[in-house]
Amino acid sequence: MFRHPRLRILVALALTTLTVVGATACTAVDAQQGPATRTGPVQRGGELRVGVLGDLSPSKFLQIGTGGPNGDVLANVFDTLVTYPTDSSTPQPSLATSWTLAPDGRSLTLNLREGVHFHDGKPFTSRDVQSSIGAYLGGPWTPQFKRTAAGITGFDVHDPHRVVLTFAHPMSNIFDLLDSAPILDGDTLDELKAGKTFNGTGPFRFSSWTPNSAIELVRNDDYWDGAPPLKTVTFVEANDPKSLYTRLRTGQLDVAEQLTTQDQELATKRYGFTDIEQTGAEAQIYVGVNVENPALADPRVRKAIAYAVDRDRIIDDVYRGSGYPVNVPWPKTSPAYDEAANTTYRRDVAKARDLLRGVGPIPPIRLDYTSTGTTYRIIAEIVQSNLRDIGITVNLQPNEETVQAKKLIGAQFPGLWILQHAFAQYTPSTLAVTAYPFNAAKNSSNYSSPEYTAASEAAWATADPSSPEALAAYRRLDKVWLNDLFLIEIGVVLARLTAAPNVRDIAWDHRQQLHFARTSLTDPDRKA
Amino acid sequence: MTGYLLRRIPTALIVLFVASLLVFAVLRLIPGGPESALAGPDASPEDLAAIRHDLGLDRTFFVQYFSWLGSVLTLDFGTSYQVGGNIGDLVSFGLVNTLVLTVTAGVIAIALALILSLTATIRPNRFVNAILTGVNAVAIALPTFVVGTVLIAVFGVGFGVLPAGGTPPAGLGDDLWITVQYLALPALTLGLPAGAMLARFLTEALQTELVQPYAVTAVATGASRADVVVKHALRNALPSTITAFGLIVGALLGGAVLVEAIFGWPGLGMLTEEGISARDYPLVQILILLSVSVFVLIQLAADVVHAWLDPRIRLAGTR
Repeated sequence: MFRHPRLRILVALALTTLTVVGATACTAVDAQQGPATRTGPVQRGGELRVGVLGDLSPSKFLQIGTGGPNGDVLANVFDTLVTYPTDSSTPQPSLATSWTLAPDGRSLTLNLREGVHFHDGKPFTSRDVQSSIGAYLGGPWTPQFKRTAAGITGFDVHDPHRVVLTFAHPMSNIFDLLDSAPILDGDTLDELKAGKTFNGTGPFRFSSWTPNSAIELVRNDDYWDGAPPLKTVTFVEANDPKSLYTRLRTGQLDVAEQLTTQDQELATKRYGFTDIEQTGAEAQIYVGVNVENPALADPRVRKAIAYAVDRDRIIDDVYRGSGYPVNVPWPKTSPAYDEAANTTYRRDVAKARDLLRGVGPIPPIRLDYTSTGTTYRIIAEIVQSNLRDIGITVNLQPNEETVQAKKLIGAQFPGLWILQHAFAQYTPSTLAVTAYPFNAAKNSSNYSSPEYTAASEAAWATADPSSPEALAAYRRLDKVWLNDLFLIEIGVVLARLTAAPNVRDIAWDHRQQLHFARTSLTDPDRKA
Repeated sequence: MTGYLLRRIPTALIVLFVASLLVFAVLRLIPGGPESALAGPDASPEDLAAIRHDLGLDRTFFVQYFSWLGSVLTLDFGTSYQVGGNIGDLVSFGLVNTLVLTVTAGVIAIALALILSLTATIRPNRFVNAILTGVNAVAIALPTFVVGTVLIAVFGVGFGVLPAGGTPPAGLGDDLWITVQYLALPALTLGLPAGAMLARFLTEALQTELVQPYAVTAVATGASRADVVVKHALRNALPSTITAFGLIVGALLGGAVLVEAIFGWPGLGMLTEEGISARDYPLVQILILLSVSVFVLIQLAADVVHAWLDPRIRLAGTR
């Protein structure tokens, strides 16, 4: 066999290559493995590799929930004036050490932490607070708390370590803004917008970014709250959740965000990865309704739909139990949460049919959903089946994510649509002034009512978000949502994070942004 | 020859101009604009209008087109909407990665084609042929995403001997051996069907050569079949196979888009996908124009070589 010398050489070369790869290919893979135990003192050093979907987008840097590593970079390179714990919206000190809200709720005095420096060495002062709020309001960004930021009418910055903010009217959600708006360096703002410089005061310095590939952050040894244990955090970018899953499984990643529900369950239940439920960073899945559609203008039809939707099935099957059904948007961590309100609409086909009896024939209704991934499609199909049970024909219309966003903002959905919203985990008044689908002045449902506008304004303009007046305003909002049903809530959805067993103490905030200031590895000397 | 080249260049330029206009127009016909991708779902209609204005998208179509064309002609490719930064830098980084992947896949394809074809031609027994035909059929028939997923499952996850995706953490040039391991699975996924197709061309060409009088005579004089195949038939079969390989290179570059997505390999494919999803007009326009330019140049080069070899073509139209 293979008597010809050239042929023998060729075959031998091929076999040798295969053998060598098989025998020694471990080099790249072995470097990714390590023993794991989470006992004992915190180990310092090491590189944390975090898998993320999508790329950094400086044009969307201040927007919440844009996907990709934007939020995680912001949370680790920059600080905010206050921070919320995950289980409440009670502000805790960060760059502001203490504060005093005026009795009339029209001004807020913040005492700023001294001795804090930006990564380039520039000291942090009250002027940075003013310029950061200015940048937050300026382009190109469209951050969600813009309306709250616009309510700040004055800045007193004559003391470098104290700032006094004055407001057009009391704003119960002012701390939501201060918890989410990063303190930026006004001198490098243009470079930040161009994605060239990320100069913050946070626990990590921005080291490098290779678009579509990776972002590297390095430890800030001079961090005001103590240098973080990790030496480096690398965000590894991918466009496909399956790719993240396989790399996590094979030890190329330590943490993965946005895995599919099935992969997340597989990794944590079968392969020993840590399952982290991001309580306090809830989102809500809902069915939106265009109330100007003749078939949906009658509130009885909307109520019938609310009775028909099988919320339990969607939460259990689609989200694998990572969440709970609701009728009003508040998660359990919100002061506005009302268990009783959530029992208003449960799947009741008979009741739904009764409601439709007096309505007359209903023409087919279109249901738009996002075609990215499979989650929305499955939910849309369940809702279509639910509505078929009560005699309503639904035609499904998949849209690419960009098209879905355009239709949402332009109020161009002709009938129903499926999407997620957030912001109910903050101060309750934030929802109606921050999330566009809930906006009282203009929203995707083409819904407006004097009562809804009044209730939104009352909730927002109450200085103390937990006062009886504020709670009464939240109940008014609940009443509107339950009666008028321009958005039919399905359930609260909890994001989950998957981490290798050698990762300790990952923190997050209301925005699902990960904080690595206290994170450590049990085996920091592992070769990266 | 120079005269022929000068006659051909205007046609190439017209093709490029028409392509640029088409690319520019078609992108704007896709529903959903960059302002929606940039603003996110909580923005207001006023925010969208402000972004459109900032990006100059509220100007007329031809004002936008000629403004962009003028920039491209001065080699100013502009800035990406989403990622920011110079488009030239983004494209050059992606291009290097894509070239590394496709060249490696091309080498695998050639090696596979030579092994399969020479084995099938030198050892023409039914058992070997059945195995080789089976391997060939499977390699051609199986979609890239299936092959990629299976390779990841077997070598990345099952045996854990090769990385399941991504690029070497320290860069392609840091450690060649690590780079080879990161390249192995994506390049194999991309090179396998190309190699099988090439093997079919080469086998067919070798079989044709073996019934030629010179080959029959060589065998009759006692030369071994292997000698005849390797020393004579292969040399004569190569030109047509090289032509076929030229066509397969296009398929390799096209297939790279899917393979890059499966393995998280940050080349032009991933960049294009990201650009289209985000309606990043300036980035996608340059990427597509680059593809068109490459094909126009290859076509031009092929015509020039053909004209150089055939004076009838070179001299046509000169009288």
